[in-house]
Amino acid sequence: MAQPTDSEFVTIVSDDGFEFIIPRSTAYVSETLRIPLSSTNFPEGREGKFVLKDFSGVIVEKICEYLCYNEKHKDQVNVPDMDIPPELCLELLMAADFLNT
Amino acid sequence: MDSEIPLPPPRRIRHRSPANANPSATGIAVSSFQRTQRLSRFDDRSSQPSSDPALFSSDDIPASGLENYHATVSGAGRKRRYRGTWWGEQVPDPKRKRAEFKDKRNVDSGVWMGSDESGAESLLPSEDGSAWGEDLRKSVLDPRKLGSSTPFAVETENMPTQNRVVLKSPEESDAHRFARQVVGDCLDKGHESIDLGDFHLVTIPPGLLRPLQHLTKLPSVKEAPVSENVFTSLQPFLSIYLPNNSLSALHNDLFELTHLKVLSLRNNKLTEIPSTIRRLTALEVLNLSVNQLSYLPWELLKLMQQGELKHLTVRPNPFLPIEKAQIAEWHNAPTNEKGMKNDEASSPPLEFQEQESSLGKGWSPLHIATGPITYMNMEGTPMGDSPSRNRSPLTPSGSTSPVNDAPSMREVALRAVSKLPYLEQTTDEELAEYPAMIVPLLRQAREVRAAGGQPCSVCHREYVIPRAEWMEWWDFTPCENGMKMPRCPGERLRPLPFRRFGCSLSCVPRSR
Repeated sequence: MAQPTDSEFVTIVSDDGFEFIIPRSTAYVSETLRIPLSSTNFPEGREGKFVLKDFSGVIVEKICEYLCYNEKHKDQVNVPDMDIPPELCLELLMAADFLNT
Repeated sequence: MDSEIPLPPPRRIRHRSPANANPSATGIAVSSFQRTQRLSRFDDRSSQPSSDPALFSSDDIPASGLENYHATVSGAGRKRRYRGTWWGEQVPDPKRKRAEFKDKRNVDSGVWMGSDESGAESLLPSEDGSAWGEDLRKSVLDPRKLGSSTPFAVETENMPTQNRVVLKSPEESDAHRFARQVVGDCLDKGHESIDLGDFHLVTIPPGLLRPLQHLTKLPSVKEAPVSENVFTSLQPFLSIYLPNNSLSALHNDLFELTHLKVLSLRNNKLTEIPSTIRRLTALEVLNLSVNQLSYLPWELLKLMQQGELKHLTVRPNPFLPIEKAQIAEWHNAPTNEKGMKNDEASSPPLEFQEQESSLGKGWSPLHIATGPITYMNMEGTPMGDSPSRNRSPLTPSGSTSPVNDAPSMREVALRAVSKLPYLEQTTDEELAEYPAMIVPLLRQAREVRAAGGQPCSVCHREYVIPRAEWMEWWDFTPCENGMKMPRCPGERLRPLPFRRFGCSLSCVPRSR
């Protein structure tokens, strides 16, 4: 798993152009993000930038929040619930399916 | 003066009927003025005392009838359009009077009186609001029930009185109808034991058991001298007997009866007891014998340890025998025995050992063994032995794999979904509109919600998708069959499998 770019941050871009810069390790929580971002064969890996084409900025913000939440509570037993507004939860389910997390 | 003159009826029915008259808002002042004028004229002619004469509906003043009491006085102008006999008599005929009476009936008096029409009776709201709304929705959506005039006509299934059952939709089976009758009878008479044995029930119809939540014993006072012992609790000792039916699954309604004391499900076709049984915290006697159970819910154990459950009958059932099962760890093994773990050849330690701290141990359920853990992936399907998760089930290790112990994003989102209001009211048709990949997840969230939540057996937090599953073998011989004897040393233990779920990959049994 050689890191193509030496930056320890990656950028997640939403459909409407919002950019979220998160630590690389948190992004690797998602299989869908990890494979392209960790390989030089993909443009995502070369640039360190991944565009989530199907999701708006609100959702991508929540996704990034989850990725950090997951990283933070990696080995804890009693993990507090993440706060998700009810209007976002269906779209987040879709995102979870896409990101395979 | 009415019926003496046999003349053809005047064609004025419409003018007299107030229900059809359109009161004109503009004419109020004018007509009241005209009316007073006319009254005075009437007075003069009849040479009565100055007080107002009695007004009758048969009087030829159209506006003075009782039916015009609230209506705007609009009949005043009609007087001029009067067409009758030349001598001014108006001949009411009996047929017309009857029509008028019917018209009057249609006017809402605002006073409601009990009528013998069953339609009016079924307008009463049922005790249970949610079931009522559900029935209403069902009847509105169901095209088969279009024949019934109002959606309320089908509502009666929650109030199972004899005459209302007749109104039930015809597709309900006889068994369900009889069961409703029995339940309704018990509700009416305050009987606290409901015997639904030998009813050939395949399912428990929805809404059958829910009214039993409100079952109240009837006070036993009959006559005036009241002795001390009539002051007893009216809280019923609720018992439900469902033996010798063909039930294959239990409805969630059953587990909402939180003060249920006795439950018998003997001789049914149950393959699984839902973990929702943990809600029956008052349960004292449970009979699950002669079913198709291969394991019990772990929550049942909690009822024995913390609840009131003291009399549990579970045999015979095709339980997984402990001798054939895969055991990851023995808990009751004597300390001097070695190599017991994963050793199939040696005899399992199934004898009760007296221990130092075993004061209450003779009674309480005893943990014998723990089976291997099956881990599930984020969608709840069992994972194979993936090399990335190469960890021993009983020794937690800091794994570096991308799969970790925090809840998955699906789980986090589903927990949010399961807190949504109206989730249990969404139908399968509505769910089908969502993208196909999340439909099974949503359905699962709905089931969990309908079961009233699902706490993890390790961390007690609500979850939707189980991530770990294992069997635990427990021995509860003192509770079995109502035995009133504690275990004695050397007694052969007969542990039974209990299935237990964890909400995350770290919610697994800890090794001692």
